[in-house]
Amino acid sequence: MLNKPTAPIRERLIESERLMEQTGCYNGITELSLRNDDPLRFETLHTKLRAYCVSAREMARRISASPGVREVGEMVVAIYTPEGDAIALSNGIMVHVHTMSRFIKWMIRNGYEENPGIRDGDIFANNDAFIGTVQVPDVMDVMPIFYDGILVGWAGAVCHELEAGGITPGGDVALAQERFTEGLFVCAEKVGENDELRRDYVIRCERNLRMPIYWVLDEKAKVASCIDMRESVKSLIDEIGVDYWLKVSKEFIEEGRRAQLARTRQLTVPGKYRGHTFYGHVTEGKPGYQPLGDPNWLYNIPIEMEVGLDGKITMDFEGTQPWGYHSMNCTPAGMDGGMFVTLTQHMNFEGLVNDGAWMATELKLPHGTWTNPDNELVATATSWALLLPAYGVFQRLLSRSFVARGFVEEAFVGQVNSPMIEMGGVSQYGTPFGMAHFECAAAGSGALAIKDGLDTAYVGWNPESDMGNIEIWEQNMPMLYIGRSIVPNSGGAGKYRGGCSFESTWLINKTDHLRLVTSEHSSRVFDNAGMCGGYPAPTCQKHRAVRNSNVFELAGQGRPLAHTPGQNPYHSDFEMRFEGEFELVEGPYITAPHKSGDIFSHSYNGGGGYGDVLERDAEKTAWDVENGFLTKEAAEAVFGIVLHEDADGMPLPDFDATARLRKRKRAERLEKAVPVSQWLEKERERVKHADFAPEVRKMYASAMKLSQRFTREFDEFWQVDGKAVFAKDAK
Amino acid sequence: MTSYSKEVIADLVAGKLPWPQTRRIMSAYKDDDRFFKYIQVLQDRVGWNDPILLPVSEHLFICDSPEGRVTKCECGHSFGDYRKNWKLSASIIVRDTEEALREIYPTSDIPDPQWMEIREFICPQCGTLHEVEAAAPGYPIVHDFEPDLEGFYREWLGRPLE
Repeated sequence: MLNKPTAPIRERLIESERLMEQTGCYNGITELSLRNDDPLRFETLHTKLRAYCVSAREMARRISASPGVREVGEMVVAIYTPEGDAIALSNGIMVHVHTMSRFIKWMIRNGYEENPGIRDGDIFANNDAFIGTVQVPDVMDVMPIFYDGILVGWAGAVCHELEAGGITPGGDVALAQERFTEGLFVCAEKVGENDELRRDYVIRCERNLRMPIYWVLDEKAKVASCIDMRESVKSLIDEIGVDYWLKVSKEFIEEGRRAQLARTRQLTVPGKYRGHTFYGHVTEGKPGYQPLGDPNWLYNIPIEMEVGLDGKITMDFEGTQPWGYHSMNCTPAGMDGGMFVTLTQHMNFEGLVNDGAWMATELKLPHGTWTNPDNELVATATSWALLLPAYGVFQRLLSRSFVARGFVEEAFVGQVNSPMIEMGGVSQYGTPFGMAHFECAAAGSGALAIKDGLDTAYVGWNPESDMGNIEIWEQNMPMLYIGRSIVPNSGGAGKYRGGCSFESTWLINKTDHLRLVTSEHSSRVFDNAGMCGGYPAPTCQKHRAVRNSNVFELAGQGRPLAHTPGQNPYHSDFEMRFEGEFELVEGPYITAPHKSGDIFSHSYNGGGGYGDVLERDAEKTAWDVENGFLTKEAAEAVFGIVLHEDADGMPLPDFDATARLRKRKRAERLEKAVPVSQWLEKERERVKHADFAPEVRKMYASAMKLSQRFTREFDEFWQVDGKAVFAKDAK
Repeated sequence: MTSYSKEVIADLVAGKLPWPQTRRIMSAYKDDDRFFKYIQVLQDRVGWNDPILLPVSEHLFICDSPEGRVTKCECGHSFGDYRKNWKLSASIIVRDTEEALREIYPTSDIPDPQWMEIREFICPQCGTLHEVEAAAPGYPIVHDFEPDLEGFYREWLGRPLE
């Protein structure tokens, strides 16, 4: 047996993979004998492991200094087999459970057992996405678990760091166009021994980050959680014996794999599901971008999901765009992570949640695309920009299957991008600083098939979404909130509307140098969608700022301030209330530093809607208007719901007028609509002449260059020679 | 085994079940007899008798009709063979101008119509909005769902289709 516990770990990994290949079962486990012998003991042990993880994470959050970890829980921990497969995990940013698995396997495959050696008490760290993470700020630490000299597992922890030392402050480094500007890389490095971080590693962090206190204390928090989990596992092995541990830990994973297949067969319908979304990247004229590629890009993200009769889910990204000289590329590790965190939310709500679920799926990531770059020098600092929309498509495809099968309570229109704001410069204390502001972890969610989406309460990467407390953010940055408000009409319209987003308005205070940067900011297109007749949520909103405003003068005179940009997209409340220099900026915000007295607003995104708008409940809509989720005008114009006001000025639905208006709107639809065949005939002429914006033409040419299937399907649909049509744009 | 009455499933589907009860259903083990109760609920809802085989959207169903297995709107309009993309037989409204987009997004920033349009797929008989696509101009219409209907009934439901 090559995978006996005393064999070199690389041989154990190879043997484990061979057994999976040979039997189709994890580690060749064709029978869950321990589970069958004593199911109660089996379940109890896994529950204990999960408790170790949850407890270790909570303890570690109290060591961290970062509001990202302490306030919004940007951390996850997990326990792994010696070969690096997750057995049990905590709550939190579960996207990283499988990325850490890749990191451990990478070290094993690259001979780390010989050099630098894997010993009891060692600490290994990584934030290189091509080894196993999503983006530079996601720094992971793992420690081996030895028992009587035998490697019996790993404990691992990830925190999202608020500052990574890149070309712009924060971690989602929008300006990075190659890996060399993303920040401080730690590439599968041994950063500590004997349970202690090396001093030279800490010094390197202190000298290469704008705000090292976050990173360094997070390192200590992660090491503490790993030691905690390690000691718990060793105590457990004292009770159950090492042979039982080595066997049961792998049965847990095989059980997880089988449970995932069974759940797919229980909840879905076999077949092929298709969907797409888009992302607009506009950098033309922005300072700092090197002319390495086109300044503006339109990305298409088509996905075909196949649910096989065996319950296996396969996701295929064929037809999407190539990697580029921007920060939104993703690695297979990041794509795996996106799949894992989505599955944990939508299918793995019972049973043993671990890497087994991931093993019951397959990702097809075409080489050379942003999902699987054929160049390891590319930047991945803002890969979430494309990951989140992509896995929002996955959620809609899964939801189509839930609706078909009757589990309507699980159908969910999906996650959306939630643009990040980051900053650096001189703090209100007069010290250098840099940080990401993590209130973005509370966007609006897509609607459900039976109710509205969650307002300001969901992001895909962390199921326990939280925007954090204003006071904590204000302690850490030289900005004061003068507004944090729900954005009316920001959920996609539908029978059930998408969750609404919020926007913050800040007064820059007590600094003369504040750099503000934003990312994950799609322009000119929706990067989300609706479902079953629901509309997408609005596009990312533009940034508004007022430089050299008269805010202090207004406040001194006790005159009213603007607390949000307001509801007129053509003329903001800022322009009505403030004096100063007004800015309106599309896409990532990269401009000159701000100073005390400037005003800045940043908006997050809402979710897509579900079902026909004309079926929306009128009473619920009146409540929405009363509470600021919808405007009265939108209720009537978009949803066909007529509202009057009661004696207190509160909205009241007029059911008869609503019925009449909806009848008229339905008739208008039929008058306006044309047969699809007629529209296609007209559109085909446009396609034949490539009568599109340059970025649209380039998108088609790029997709066709990489994908024969995309080309074939395009050609068959329009009855054209696509490559010839877009030949000029392929250069 | 978890199981709910047809009435509970009907209320759940209609979005009328009280939230605490819905929440309990979401948290509980799933009911394995859901599918056929769901089909009964939908069959009661539609005004026609062709047996529903599979819902594919809120108001679209694959059913067994005298003309074969077709995709049918709740109003009774048939979009033809279920294996073909029903959207190609629908009516469409395309929002590809700022004015048309502004009707749906009155207070927010909107996409550039040169980069993206909204396509509304509508039943030509009753005017129900069945699906909305947000796509770049020229993007082929998506065939959302091609179910393995035979395999589903045969292997997952244990009731092969005739």
